[in-house]
Amino acid sequence: MKLILKQFIYLLLLSAVINTVHATLRVETTTQDLAAIASVIGGSHIEVHSLTIGTRDPHFAVAKPSMIRRVYRADLLLVIGADMEIGWLPPLLQSARNSRVQPGSPGYLDLSETVKLLGKQQGPVTRDMGDVHARGNPHYWLDPRNGVHMAKMISEQLSQLDPEHATDYYANFKAFEKNVNTKFQQWRSELKHLNGKTVIAYHTSFVYLAEAFGFSIVDEVEPKPGISPSAASLNALITRIKKEQIGLLIMAPYYERRSARYLNEETDIQIAVLPQSVGAEPDIQTYPDLFDAIVKALKTTGEN
Amino acid sequence: MTFTRYLLTVMTSGIIVFNSTALQAVESNKTTQLQLLELKQQINALEKQLTETVLPSSLAKNTEKANNPLQIGLSGLFAMGRSSVDNTELSNLQAGGHDPDKNGFTVQNVELAIGGTVDPYLDAQTNIIFLIDDAGETVVELEEAFFTSRNLPWGLQLKGGQYFTEFGRQNKQHPHTWAFVDQPVVLSRFFGGDGLRSQGIRASWLIPADWYSEFYLGMQNAKGETVSSFLNVPGDDFGGYTLIDRNARGFDDLLYSARWLNGIDLSDTLSINLGLSGLWGPNASGTTTDTRIMGTDIYLKWQAETSQRGYPFLAWHTEVLQRRYEAADPGDPVQDILRDEGLFSQLQWGFKPGWIAGLRWDYARADGDTSADPMRDTRKRLSTNLTWHPTEFSKLRLQFNRDETEHLAEKTANSIWLQMEFSLGSHMAHTF
Repeated sequence: MKLILKQFIYLLLLSAVINTVHATLRVETTTQDLAAIASVIGGSHIEVHSLTIGTRDPHFAVAKPSMIRRVYRADLLLVIGADMEIGWLPPLLQSARNSRVQPGSPGYLDLSETVKLLGKQQGPVTRDMGDVHARGNPHYWLDPRNGVHMAKMISEQLSQLDPEHATDYYANFKAFEKNVNTKFQQWRSELKHLNGKTVIAYHTSFVYLAEAFGFSIVDEVEPKPGISPSAASLNALITRIKKEQIGLLIMAPYYERRSARYLNEETDIQIAVLPQSVGAEPDIQTYPDLFDAIVKALKTTGEN
Repeated sequence: MTFTRYLLTVMTSGIIVFNSTALQAVESNKTTQLQLLELKQQINALEKQLTETVLPSSLAKNTEKANNPLQIGLSGLFAMGRSSVDNTELSNLQAGGHDPDKNGFTVQNVELAIGGTVDPYLDAQTNIIFLIDDAGETVVELEEAFFTSRNLPWGLQLKGGQYFTEFGRQNKQHPHTWAFVDQPVVLSRFFGGDGLRSQGIRASWLIPADWYSEFYLGMQNAKGETVSSFLNVPGDDFGGYTLIDRNARGFDDLLYSARWLNGIDLSDTLSINLGLSGLWGPNASGTTTDTRIMGTDIYLKWQAETSQRGYPFLAWHTEVLQRRYEAADPGDPVQDILRDEGLFSQLQWGFKPGWIAGLRWDYARADGDTSADPMRDTRKRLSTNLTWHPTEFSKLRLQFNRDETEHLAEKTANSIWLQMEFSLGSHMAHTF
């Protein structure tokens, strides 16, 4: 009996040692885009999971109990930031009782703090302006150059948490950087026809895409961010589209299509439904996949 | 003179050093290369250290500056309505403290919420509510004021202060997050108008399972109108028994609560919460009498794979509760055990962004002849409503209630309510 107990304790200690030696870092991300980048950088040294799915607007996620369990076990939490997750991440962090991933800890990385945000508000922000993010537009992952920068920050954070594999993280980042930069040139040449064009978006979520590919978004279907269009606001938009001969409307898949169809009927404006995140469509599994799909959707439209 | 000598010394020593290294280099090229490699590695390591320590921490500071303020929010909840019964009867039907209960206008709940992180160890929150009573007087209540621990080991968390007891799903919710304009009948009966809340402490433990599983254990004061099934206000009537002034004589006379909550994602679109709750505490119908309340709750939510602003969704929430109330001390000729039970089951269908249709069924009854007691008779209520959220920060809700209840002379009542909510300040949490 005593022997068995002794062996059991020995086994327990051994498994604890093995666990600490071979532990892979548990990385939780708030979006699938972050998870896609992190999994390339971390390779087999990390386990990545996204708290939300790419078919939904990450701003409107809810703090589900299953997320509490996941954040409790996480070694690193990657967030989009700039108020994107304001409705659900603060209560989640409070319930998760994990000091490793609280803001300010090495296990918490807010990527919005590491990129140049567009649309920062000058002057006072009130909710009369709609769903305006005072700290800047949070859809920054839609510029491939930002994606490269995010990958760099993630590789640095992983190296800090797991110095043993720092060279691997750095090498993975370098490969990612090379891959995305090469593809970016390709994507740009494929979307040459959009250069300098004016475009309308449904929501203010494509400003970074426009910046990356050289077109400009002059108006939105939503009269104010997050505010549903009305008949009056749509009619005003029709007048503008006709007057300025705007040829393309871009929107994320999860918005209602009725307004877009109405605009199309009235003005012949072309509509491109663009995936906004990794996971938005079943075959978008990696960060470059996302731009492949966007470029594919944009290539066939806006050519006239 | 001294200066030139100094200069000369420096120059010659420099030449000597240079010469010696040059000579060494010629002599043993390999060693130098190795040394160089070592140096390079050292520089690399230093550079890495620099980027790791200096860069992210300076960025982290940036984050702290940006989102460390106190969370302050004010929400206002108002209703107007009309019922087939008068205000006296209506106050028995709409027994919740925040229910609209007048023909005309009701200020249901104006709530000031302040919360934030105290220090590395604690978070804290306080909710102060303002109401206008029947006499037009302003009533202020300290609804909640509590701290929670931030990072106890082994998945533990402590909470202390004045707070809503974690019993079922609905009891903890503040009126502005309810799916209906009023509180479920069985909760008003078992927990009183304000819901079950009191002063105390509770520990919770995140069970190391593959799914979310949490166990709560708490103890709170059992006295007052917000713990109505226990040591309620002396002189009040409970099921025909006049309550005495009974104080806690020790830990035996406190209210104990336990809850086991499980959350499982059945798929990307379907999630379920299952809970079991129990309450044990003294009641004031006698000097040794106890009350026990048991409950089970289920919450099932489906959200479409592709959804805009969280819509469309379908949510089903049901709670079943049972109460065993020892009335009067043993030996007392009127000694009895009062058994009550009740349930509510509600469905919410968010059919397009901002729009939710709701349907709720309430049922409550008790053993024995309780037909004259508005808080214990057999009662059924069917409620249906339509809610519109123009943005996340406001809502408009129209609700119709159909009551079938024994104590009313007419046996039935119909009421219609229009509710409005605004929310100012900090972003409200998106509840699951």
